[in-house]
Amino acid sequence: MSHDKLVEDVRQAILNYDSEGAVKAAKDAISQKADPLKVLDAASEGIKIMGEKFHAQEIFLPQLTLAADAMVAVEKLVEENLPKGKLSHKKKIVFGTIEGDLHDIGKNIVSAMLTGAGFEVHDIGKDVPVATFIEKAKELQADIIGVSALMTTTMDGQRKLIEELKKTNMRKKFKVLIGGGCTTKEWAKKIGADGYGRDAKAAVDIAMKTVGVKA
Amino acid sequence: MKPKRIEVLDENEIDQIHHATLTVLEKTGINVNEEQARNILRKNGATVDDAKKRVWIPRSLLEDNVKKAPSEFIMHARDPKLNLKIDLDTTYLEPMVGRLNILDASTGKRRRTTLKDLEHLMKVANAMPNFHLLHSGAMMPHIEGIQDSVAHVHGYFTAIKNAQKVVKGTGRGTSKAEDCMRMAAVLAGGKEELRKNAWVFTTCNTISPLQLDKPQVEGIIVYARYGQPVDITAEVQSGGTAPVTLAGALVVQNCEVLTGILIAQLVNPGTPVFYGTCGGIMDMRMADISLGCVESGLINIASAQLAHHYKIPCRGTAATTESKALDMQAGYDKALTLMMAAQGGVNTIFYPGVMDHALTISLESYVIDNEIAGMVFRALRGIEVDEEHLAVDIINKVGPIGHFLNQKHTMQYLLKEHYMPTISDRRLREDWEKDGSKELKDVAKERVQKILKEHTPMELDKDKEKELRAIIKEVEKREKV
Repeated sequence: MSHDKLVEDVRQAILNYDSEGAVKAAKDAISQKADPLKVLDAASEGIKIMGEKFHAQEIFLPQLTLAADAMVAVEKLVEENLPKGKLSHKKKIVFGTIEGDLHDIGKNIVSAMLTGAGFEVHDIGKDVPVATFIEKAKELQADIIGVSALMTTTMDGQRKLIEELKKTNMRKKFKVLIGGGCTTKEWAKKIGADGYGRDAKAAVDIAMKTVGVKA
Repeated sequence: MKPKRIEVLDENEIDQIHHATLTVLEKTGINVNEEQARNILRKNGATVDDAKKRVWIPRSLLEDNVKKAPSEFIMHARDPKLNLKIDLDTTYLEPMVGRLNILDASTGKRRRTTLKDLEHLMKVANAMPNFHLLHSGAMMPHIEGIQDSVAHVHGYFTAIKNAQKVVKGTGRGTSKAEDCMRMAAVLAGGKEELRKNAWVFTTCNTISPLQLDKPQVEGIIVYARYGQPVDITAEVQSGGTAPVTLAGALVVQNCEVLTGILIAQLVNPGTPVFYGTCGGIMDMRMADISLGCVESGLINIASAQLAHHYKIPCRGTAATTESKALDMQAGYDKALTLMMAAQGGVNTIFYPGVMDHALTISLESYVIDNEIAGMVFRALRGIEVDEEHLAVDIINKVGPIGHFLNQKHTMQYLLKEHYMPTISDRRLREDWEKDGSKELKDVAKERVQKILKEHTPMELDKDKEKELRAIIKEVEKREKV
């Protein structure tokens, strides 16, 4: 089978939100000496289309989530098959749900979508203190800090994070993007965030725009 | 389990209404303003006073013959996939189509309904997944721009041409009913074929209290002779044309409907009929009928119980409103009455699409009522419980803190378990604002335009179309158009 066809199978599996199928197709392609980066590109293209379809209400959230899972699985496989550091040119995002908030479904989806869009996503989980966000970002020399909050009682943590960065003279080192159910564009503006993503697709768009990556 | 039906009468109460009905029909009798029917009734044992047009019906005559009406029958559609099995268990929706007025979405005002409007109405009704059998322009006494005496053939033809679902004809007078039989026979493949299967149906409305009018009874007779279904429907207005007590209104309704059913069964035993209600109240603040009222919901439920007591399918009236605009009143009137009728087990629910005392039809209301119906049909399916639906394996797999979005089980059952709205807005405010802050009526208007542009009804067989057009020409000639 041609490399093109093998790579196309990976894209199709993502479009069919078929995690096992995607991993199998990726394994097949790589074992037949297809370029792993091309495999990753195909998967990324698939997840990008799924993001657009979700945005247009053509598919439902479970389909997008399953596709995102498939994407993450393919990426893991590709990484294992590349020399270390080969993907290091990627923009890095430290991403998590703020302290006090256990809601992470949206964050997980955005995380997978960002991976699909070519970012190196460091998902630090949920209920994450401000200090941990900053430490991790420093350690990884991240480009973006992504902070999710679902509840009005926790969204203030997003403001605190930005204040803390200002206090420690690190505000310019990182772009800060916020999102989550209770947050708004106005809130993002008020607390001085660099951007706001309403849903998964918007989050990816704003992340790309913020670091000057073309979609 | 499938949810239990709502009941508003117990067995004893049904029995009381039945016996009250027999008493009224024996003691006071009922007016039947049509001679053939009176003769048939007299021949079978009823006492008749022709001068008064009054008929007194012995209880055994009524009970023995109402039994002959079938509990199940098939109604044929131009598209055989859309044939309907009518029985006591299933619920179908029949939108209103032919009304004197239509709400013009471009002006928000009402105007007279034209043949072009009827074409659009049939097309959109044809495209609505939750509408099953369709009313038509055949029933309209007046279509703007058409001579009244031929409105029925134009209305019926427009309906057949623009929809492939089961379509209603007219039974308003012998001649009009016969014209419809000729046209339905074209669909069936001849009059003999028509007699074997139901291809057209109609409504016979009684005139409350206790009166069956001549053209309507003529319709019953013609349809019965051809074995075509008739819904015999009383339109009692509690407080005005029937007692203000709903139980009393049900007695008046029962007298009228059972008399109509009796006539149909005497003309042709086994004629498929619906026990029909279009019962509501007279609003005593202005002496106008109200159908979009909670009492109508109750009357629908009671009617389903009475119909099923006689083992006859029930035709009800719901998803209607007295509101003049597609506003919140229209929404709650329609949703409330439809949910009640459906949960009461009414088998065909007539009237979606209508508003304004049933004087005005609205294309936009079709897509709104179709949405309400989608939710109602979801409610009727209830909650299924078995191993797959309990999903214990999936719950154990996901465990605490996780989520179910990426489980195959979620996608597998999503569209069976959740009703997916077609026009309801559930977005967050900013997305809604970005999209123009549209209200439901605006969304519905856009949807109607999209359907009119994109929906193509199944093509009518060319030879049949030719035959149908020839019948229209003949009728026009006869009526000196």
